[in-house]
Amino acid sequence: MADEAYPADAHDYESEAEELERVDSAMRDTPRGALVVSGIAVALLMLGWLILYFFVFIPRGTVG
Amino acid sequence: MAVSERAILKSEIRWAWVVGGIVAVILGAILFAALSMGMNPPSNREFVDPKTLHLSSEFTEANLGTSVDPNGRIVARMITTQFEFVPNCIVLPADRDVTLRFASPDVIHGILITGTNVNTMVIPGYVAQVHTRLTKTGDLLMPCHEYCGLGHSQMLATVRVVPPEQFRPDSQGRVSCGDDR
Amino acid sequence: MATIAEPASAAPKRRRTAAATRELQTGRLVAAHVWVGVAAFAVACLLGVWQMWARSPIEAPYHTASNYFRSVTLHGISMAFVLTTFFIMGFGYYVAETALRRPLPGLKIAWGAFALGLAGTLMAALSVISGNASVLYTFYPPMTATAWFYIGLVLVVVASWAWCVLMIVAMREWKAANPGQAVPLAMFATVANAVMWLWTTLGVAAELLFQVIPAAIGWNGMVDVGLSRTLFSWTLHAIVYFWLFPSYIAFYTMFPRAAGGRLFSDTMGRLAFILFLLYSLPVGLHHLFMDPEHSNGFKFIQMFLTALVSVPTLLTIFTITASAEIAGRMRGGRGLFGWVRALPWDRPMVLATGLAFLMLFFGGGGGLINMSYGMNAMVHNTSWVTAHFHLIFGGTVVIMYFAIAYAIWPSITGRNFANMGLLRIQLWTWFVGMMVMTLPWHWTGLQGQWRRVAAFDYSDPMIAAWGPWVIVSLIGGILLAASALLFVYNLAILHRSGRPGARRTIDYAQAVHPPGRVPAALNGFGLWNWLVALLMLLAYGYPIAQFFIDPPPQAVIHRVAG
Repeated sequence: MADEAYPADAHDYESEAEELERVDSAMRDTPRGALVVSGIAVALLMLGWLILYFFVFIPRGTVG
Repeated sequence: MAVSERAILKSEIRWAWVVGGIVAVILGAILFAALSMGMNPPSNREFVDPKTLHLSSEFTEANLGTSVDPNGRIVARMITTQFEFVPNCIVLPADRDVTLRFASPDVIHGILITGTNVNTMVIPGYVAQVHTRLTKTGDLLMPCHEYCGLGHSQMLATVRVVPPEQFRPDSQGRVSCGDDR
Repeated sequence: MATIAEPASAAPKRRRTAAATRELQTGRLVAAHVWVGVAAFAVACLLGVWQMWARSPIEAPYHTASNYFRSVTLHGISMAFVLTTFFIMGFGYYVAETALRRPLPGLKIAWGAFALGLAGTLMAALSVISGNASVLYTFYPPMTATAWFYIGLVLVVVASWAWCVLMIVAMREWKAANPGQAVPLAMFATVANAVMWLWTTLGVAAELLFQVIPAAIGWNGMVDVGLSRTLFSWTLHAIVYFWLFPSYIAFYTMFPRAAGGRLFSDTMGRLAFILFLLYSLPVGLHHLFMDPEHSNGFKFIQMFLTALVSVPTLLTIFTITASAEIAGRMRGGRGLFGWVRALPWDRPMVLATGLAFLMLFFGGGGGLINMSYGMNAMVHNTSWVTAHFHLIFGGTVVIMYFAIAYAIWPSITGRNFANMGLLRIQLWTWFVGMMVMTLPWHWTGLQGQWRRVAAFDYSDPMIAAWGPWVIVSLIGGILLAASALLFVYNLAILHRSGRPGARRTIDYAQAVHPPGRVPAALNGFGLWNWLVALLMLLAYGYPIAQFFIDPPPQAVIHRVAG
């Protein structure tokens, strides 16, 4: 809705009061979703690291 | 019910524990490989003068290539120079502890053996050394992996990994690729 | 409700303020900087495509080793030194004026620094084009280029030092005029970057001034290579965070607003930027894991510190994801994932942030492997590493540079974009191109495909097997070049057309709890500088001192200059 105005003066909500009310209600559930989403991302990252460690690095032989 | 800044910071701290856990797992696995298997970077503060490399006893022409010393230690020595390896082929046995030693008389080079963990920079002034145990046989590529000048792309060597029973040193304890050089 | 409403109403009223119609005092300055960076970037992208073509099984025109390494050198310095330095300086001036809402101190000095940096850039570029400086952007002494090359780069660094001082002065003057107030986060981060950059450049400056330039002029015939690599490593990691800072500034202070929400935590932003200042520097030895000249002990210490530098990034991922969640929920998103879909992905800043995070996932994952001490041997100097830093720099950093440029350009030109579709296409093609280019590099890198090669011998069966993957990444590269040219077009068009009447400033994101007063430690860098000094002494004290306590044999200078 704010495409034409973006980015300088995009106002997504009618009034400051409405915006604050929405912030307040959004904060009731935040950051549960963020915790799950970034948790999944980091778990995948960890998994990738472990796969390379156990299935590529270690089988290629000791080195030092 | 408004969310206080304190609650926000609390959730950040909870996340920081997750982050800390990940870092700890990675560090633990690295430490395990280092301590129990000796998987370390190829650090080796051992000097060799690039100007007199060919004259010093270890890296004179006759000493280059693979040899088995009187203690049974298998050592391969190579000079990395613009833009070739001397010699350009070495023979190594699989499943045995081997030591690779490199030195450069001119600029920075670096080596890796494809499909293995063998990797080191060759810095003029130092002997670069890697201890390893190769797990598969065949002719492996060993390129120079660090920019050393316009001929860098042509700087390649072969590592011929043979089964231990086919690794037969001659009377002087030396093994070479034969026809290659 | 009350806890949120109170600080918000105490903050300066941003809604319905009269649209700023006066031109930005720094507008031309910022545009000049960005355009120099963008010009270098466009040239570098085209060179990059040619380089990939040259390395592929398909025959490329003008393909000689001499042309290839000229091109790689030009690509490297254009991207790493010119695009970044000029963009960061320009954006810094912009933030100083728009976030502090006061004139930039020393506008004339800023223009002087610009001229100096431009002269240095041209000097270095001409040295490379003439074939007298094919030493790549990491120099590789004892190889030595013409002195003009290094002197040109020193001028760019000196120009950036002037910028650092101006940023510090601007913040100090603002603090004097607003005693006790929290420095706006965008400016706090910009000054964190300036302070970090002053520390960062000490390493490369010492290498160039005491070792490389004397050798290039002919005063020295020998060089201690281990020392020069160590000094360069001092700079080599923190420089990446110097490039990355604007992206993080956009994540924290522009993205939440573009998404129509709030920043989850201003305090965490300050903390993340302070952690970057602390941990970006004492970690450079991880670039020398495969070098013989340092002991395993110091490599291990710096590996540990490198693991710590992942912390501010992982904290940022959470804080920004939570900020996105706020915006998504404010727009009606529900449940654990519904807020993701509710975000306004059609806005360039929002889209770019999402794509930047995806590329950060792959690039950061590769980085975790690289920093893993002995495990570095698996990938060192292979295409894996090239893939890693193209994803981090070319991906996360550069896509946010695009988004920043798109966000600030209306306030600089006074015109709004008439067609946001072209902006979105540009961002998407950049992302797709980057993924298509770098994913095969990870694969070939793991198989040992080595770096900095002008041509591969595809008659070798092992190398031949890489051929198809090399062609796939070339296709990615072509997409990237097309996207780069579209970016140039998108910026250029706003100077001539577009819808007039854009506001001459921007608003930065507000936090859920806007900072009123913050502790001095989160509002300046005095304390943190002492800690940086201490960490650097610990991490680099002995590794540098050892070259003087027990000097190794030096190497003979090799001139590449014709």
